[in-house]
Amino acid sequence: MRDKILFVIGVAAILLLARDINAIIDLPEERNQGIIFKIIFFHVPMAITALTCSLVAFIASIGFLITKNFKFDAVAVAVTEVGLAFLAGNLITGSIWGRVAWGIWWAWDARLTSALVCWLLYAGYLMLRRAIEEPTQRATFAAIFSIFAFIDVPIVIFSIKWWRTQHPAPVFWGGGSMPKDWYALWAWNVLAMMLVGFVFTAVRLRQEEFQREIDSLRREAHAI
Amino acid sequence: MYALLLQSAEDVTREIIRLQHGYQFLSYGLIVAWLILVVYVLMMVGREKKLKREIEGLRAMLEERPRG
Repeated sequence: MRDKILFVIGVAAILLLARDINAIIDLPEERNQGIIFKIIFFHVPMAITALTCSLVAFIASIGFLITKNFKFDAVAVAVTEVGLAFLAGNLITGSIWGRVAWGIWWAWDARLTSALVCWLLYAGYLMLRRAIEEPTQRATFAAIFSIFAFIDVPIVIFSIKWWRTQHPAPVFWGGGSMPKDWYALWAWNVLAMMLVGFVFTAVRLRQEEFQREIDSLRREAHAI
Repeated sequence: MYALLLQSAEDVTREIIRLQHGYQFLSYGLIVAWLILVVYVLMMVGREKKLKREIEGLRAMLEERPRG
């Protein structure tokens, strides 16, 4: 039953994304940036999904440290991995936008650098998990590391408010605006990306359950 | 409307090149966004198969072994 629900949500999200691509192509050019502006319809939803994953990982990590329940650890690792994929998409689409808008692929400004640091921190989190064998120790160290890594998330979000960056100032909470139909399209894409993220997390979570089953079967095999 | 404001054939050519350049990079962006999602799905499918195989292997091993 759970698989069927996930399948339906996944298909709905993919159809929504595909429909939005068609609508995005039909949109007129933005006056200053031209066609490349349209990348915002994927770039920002990917960032929102990635940073939501970071928030869930942060909460789950605190949950694990308080309760020592391994379900929280499984949620933390699942959302971190999914968030890492979305953040990679965000960084690369941003870089492609920068190549057209700025004439360069990358600028070491506060937003881009903090986002890259965020990606590296969460990649480090996954590497740390691979390095520790003992499950309780692995989950504890990983939870502490995840909480530490989350410190970077507000820096990523507010860097364009706190410092003058090459990255554009925020559109929606920085005095900018968008035509209503563009905004609706953007919001639908945020929803679609979040749904994709949700399905990925649910599938990844099931794999963590499989992994726990393997661990328990191995222990049983050693005991015999 | 904007095209009407263009002054010469050179301007038209420049505008076409600018549009082509924009579309080229926009398509790169969209392809990358989709590619990352597809690659991640393939990675998860591969991992799931591996995990299921491992579970089956361990279960078979435990069934074969005499319990001490």
